[in-house]
Amino acid sequence: MSEKIVINHLRKVYKTDEQETVALEDFSLEIQKGELISIVGPSGCGKTTLLRLIAGLMEPSSGEVSIGGKKCTGPGPDRGMVFQEFALFPWRSVRKNVEFGLEIAGVPAEQRRKTAERYIRAVGLEGFEDHRVHELSGGMKQRVGIARALVTKPDVLLMDEPFGALDAQTRNIMQGELLRIVEKTDTTILFVTHSVDEAVYLSDRIVVLTKRPASIKDIVDIGIPRPRDRASPEFIRLRKQILTELEDENVRPAVHAEALNGGK
Amino acid sequence: MELQSIFIILCAVCVIIAIIILDAMNSPSKYFVYDKDNRRHRMLRKGIIAFVSLVVFVLIWWNLSLLLDNPAIPTPQTTWEALVFLFQNGDSISGMTMWGHMSISLERFFAGLLIALAIAVPFGLLLGYSDTLKEFSSPTLEALRPIAPIAWAPIFLFTVGYTWGPILVVFVGIFFPVLTNTMFGVKKIDPNWVDAAKTLGATKVQTFVKVMLPAAVPYIMNGLRIGMGVGWMCIVASELYASFGGGVGYFISIQAQMGYWPNVYAGIVIIAILGILTTSLADYLHKVITRRMGIE
Repeated sequence: MSEKIVINHLRKVYKTDEQETVALEDFSLEIQKGELISIVGPSGCGKTTLLRLIAGLMEPSSGEVSIGGKKCTGPGPDRGMVFQEFALFPWRSVRKNVEFGLEIAGVPAEQRRKTAERYIRAVGLEGFEDHRVHELSGGMKQRVGIARALVTKPDVLLMDEPFGALDAQTRNIMQGELLRIVEKTDTTILFVTHSVDEAVYLSDRIVVLTKRPASIKDIVDIGIPRPRDRASPEFIRLRKQILTELEDENVRPAVHAEALNGGK
Repeated sequence: MELQSIFIILCAVCVIIAIIILDAMNSPSKYFVYDKDNRRHRMLRKGIIAFVSLVVFVLIWWNLSLLLDNPAIPTPQTTWEALVFLFQNGDSISGMTMWGHMSISLERFFAGLLIALAIAVPFGLLLGYSDTLKEFSSPTLEALRPIAPIAWAPIFLFTVGYTWGPILVVFVGIFFPVLTNTMFGVKKIDPNWVDAAKTLGATKVQTFVKVMLPAAVPYIMNGLRIGMGVGWMCIVASELYASFGGGVGYFISIQAQMGYWPNVYAGIVIIAILGILTTSLADYLHKVITRRMGIE
């Protein structure tokens, strides 16, 4: 089912009347089936842009994304997406939210219901099928978001700071849940986050981005076997390494800041 | 003069009683402690205020009518008697009871409402969806919108006649608020919803039907709420202007021509009551549907 995902020389330039801003520069990455890759980078470096390009919600200026040798054009159910603000449909129940992708694909009602129920169970929401979105807590909402994205069996799940809107405790619980779900469903994941701790806890590999225009600064293999202990020396060492790399990026003087200070 | 002074005193007493009651509710006493988190208490308070407000209004009216002593300002009492008579026996000119006039006006009102919804909702959705269509239609729509719907009455009555004329005036009155609100609703959609639908494989048509339409419903309902208020004014105004075969506006118009002032006031009271009923119906629908949709 899942295939290797190849991202090839992806580049994005934003054009306005006054200027061109390069948001993403020459991004290439191969993601193996079943891998969990995190992307970390300085704030505003273009992580979300990268994810939206891969999802097909934005057109790249050049470069391409292909899955199993087939080039992706536009958004599609082969790349599921989980949003930071959940983006659930409030007029639908939990069940109907999860069924959405199947409804779109024209799956018959009875089979739709069965499949949706399986995924609702997988994310631990049995008993809440007929609840409305506004009756759920933040963590539960994101469980629905994950189930909704998984129901079409995507080759890759793109997660845009999925736990960013949750409190610290719920966040930790959801990280554990995500690993459990991944194990159960064998999903490939590309995970954008602000939190280095979260990235080290979850990922097989971490892609560290540079400041804008974003490009790959480093790719770090996290070889720690799961379940990981946040207090282990190995965990702390990797966390520190990545934090230092990010700090270097933040201290590096921005070109336009210099221009501002150095007169006209 | 004596009667008038009594009324003035009654008015003042009413207001004072009301203020005392409400004040007592706000400050704790041993007889009654107003709890603003208690729904019954809130309704009781609202009820008292509304009742006193109406009583004061009727007293002022009564007082004015005696003071001015003008046949065009009958007392509430004669108006009430006229109203009761009209419901039981009808008026001598049209030979219809007030029930008949009411049902004719309501029929016209709801016919106009349905036509307006049937056209304004799909059109508003399309305008919200397509910028080109919006740019194309806006100049015309913006030119037509400020025109008072009743200005169309002479044209409609001449072209489509007395049955459809008033209906079309109502249609114009409801059309614009529903249209602009629907369009606004589509524009205000959370872009994440659209993105989510796209990444789940939805085509443009599927996104439109399954995301944009339901997301716009609360806005459509809001447009309907505003439109129903406007539409109710339109039906009465167009019936006043000209219509045959009844209707509350028509009733008022002929009674005024004959100088039967208590009947005119009876008609106005009916308009007020039906107006309140239609707007509360709209408010109720708005509340129920937005709650059902999970959007508050």
